[in-house]
This record gives sequence, structure tokens and C-alpha cells, in this order.
Amino acid sequence: MNALANPEVGAFINKHFVSSFQKVATFQIVNGQKQGGNVASYFCAPDGRVLHCVAGPVDAGTMLREAKWVVDSVKKAMEENRKTEVPFKALFRRWHAERLRQEFGLVVEPATFDAPTPREDDPLSYNDPSGRPVIQPLVLPPIDGPDVQFRAMAKEAAAGAADAVACRKGGRWSLGNQGRVHQLMAAYSMTKIEKVYATVFESILGERVSTKPVITINPRDGERRVVCLTCESKAHAQE
Amino acid sequence: MSKSILALFLTALVSASPVRAADESCGKCGKQSYGTSVVWSGTPSEAAAKAKAEEKLVFVLHVSGHFEDPKFT
Repeated sequence: MNALANPEVGAFINKHFVSSFQKVATFQIVNGQKQGGNVASYFCAPDGRVLHCVAGPVDAGTMLREAKWVVDSVKKAMEENRKTEVPFKALFRRWHAERLRQEFGLVVEPATFDAPTPREDDPLSYNDPSGRPVIQPLVLPPIDGPDVQFRAMAKEAAAGAADAVACRKGGRWSLGNQGRVHQLMAAYSMTKIEKVYATVFESILGERVSTKPVITINPRDGERRVVCLTCESKAHAQE
Repeated sequence: MSKSILALFLTALVSASPVRAADESCGKCGKQSYGTSVVWSGTPSEAAAKAKAEEKLVFVLHVSGHFEDPKFT
């Protein structure tokens, strides 16, 4: 939260983004001590498709750098899309894979197309009591090519290592939250936020998503809302 | 004497009332900031509609707990 309190970060975000927040998980207070809880920041297109994400709390410099990268990349992608007609999605996924290679030294093949998803009313998919299909964590793209025998996945499951990522050669890489975000975004950038958030919160941050706050239409607690009488009266006067 | 007792009582009453977060709203426009420098615009769908109209991008923060109350975020 310190990053968003920074005036420079706030000014940049207010200039280029319209901001909102959602409660997606909870934490416990045991004997006055906070346990669990986390935060994820998503930079999205106006239609809610995720361009980039910052998983976990970061400092102001990191937040500003990532926000600037998103704004610059959007401009660059729009220009390149106009010139070469390469889809916006493919460009963003390629750039995430490129950042993973440059900053973390790991290679993933960006997925430039999406597999068809089953319809929401598909009789074979399980729906929760609200009628929505259960959100499945997404499968991260394999590092250094596909692991067709699933050995690395089995090893990881047996070891129970959370921070290590296995490549197909059997090597293990320690990858931080932001590296994992780039790995995820190399395959799922420009996907709707409702498909990505569970993976970010559960697979990357290790928090359990509680679905109820997400279903809430207005996540704000009405009683605590501060109403500015000056602004409200101005709006009424204009009407 | 009675006046000073009344003043003391009023001071005690004011100090006992629940303290709200220091900067829940922006001093300039009055919009809620919840202890951040960012102006928050309602639900994500409201923000998306506003972003489309203003030709901006959308910033969505996913949090655990009550974002509105710094004690629970």
C-alpha cells in the first residue's frame, strides 16, 4: 500500500488510469495479529482484459516502473498493430516473454492464440451455487519448451516447493512473484480479469480466493462512505 | 467552576469519539483516497465505463480484507 501512497505514483496512475478496487480474499486477526492477506494490482484495457499485473506489495519505484511500462507498451502496440496488423494480444504476450528472458533469464514460448473455452452453460462444467463456473487456476506456460512427460510437474508436486519452477531439462529455477507474473502473462495477457485473478492470488501469492466479495456488486460498505457535500451539490446544480 | 467542568467534559467527549482515517478523502476534490494518492472510482465496471469515455486504461486493485479501513487492509 506504501507504493500507492507515493504522490508521483498517484499522479501517474490518476493521469493514465481510472482506478477501482475489489475485495477478493480475506485474512484473520488472531489475538490482535493479522494473518495472511495480500494485494495484486492489475493494469487493464477499458474492457477489463489484463495487460499486466503486479503481484504482492511492492515499493513506489517498482509500481511506477510497471505502470509506465504498461502505458508505453500500449502506445507501442497500437502503433505496431496499425503498421503490421499483428494482434495486440500477441504483441503483449511476446513482450512479457521478452521481459522474463531479459530480467530473469528464463525462456517461455508466448501463446499467441487462446484455446476455445467451454460455454458458461456447458452441462459438463461444474457451477457454484450462484450459477457461475468454478474458477480454475490457469496452467503456466512451460519454461524452455513443453514438458510432454509431465516429469517436472510431478517432481514439483512431490517436493511441494512453492518458489521453485522446473524446466523440462529437470533444472529448478527460483522465480519471484514478478517473474511468475510475466510467465503467466506470456500466455494469458489480454484475458479477462475474472479468469486470471484466481491464478495470481492462489498460484503466485499463495492466498485462497474467497469468492463472496467478488460476487458482491458494490464492494463498498455503504455506511462508511464519505459523501462530499460540496461536490454532490455541484453535481445537482449542474443537473 | 461549572463552565470549566463542562469544557473538560466536552474535550473528553470529543477525544473519545471514534477517530476516522486521517485522509479518507482528498482535500482538494473530496474524492475518497483511502490513505493513498490514487482517486478511486467506484466498482470495476464503473471504472471501465469511465475509462472508455475518457480514453484511459483501468487500474484494478485486488485486496484482502476491508480496503476502506486501513486497520483491516
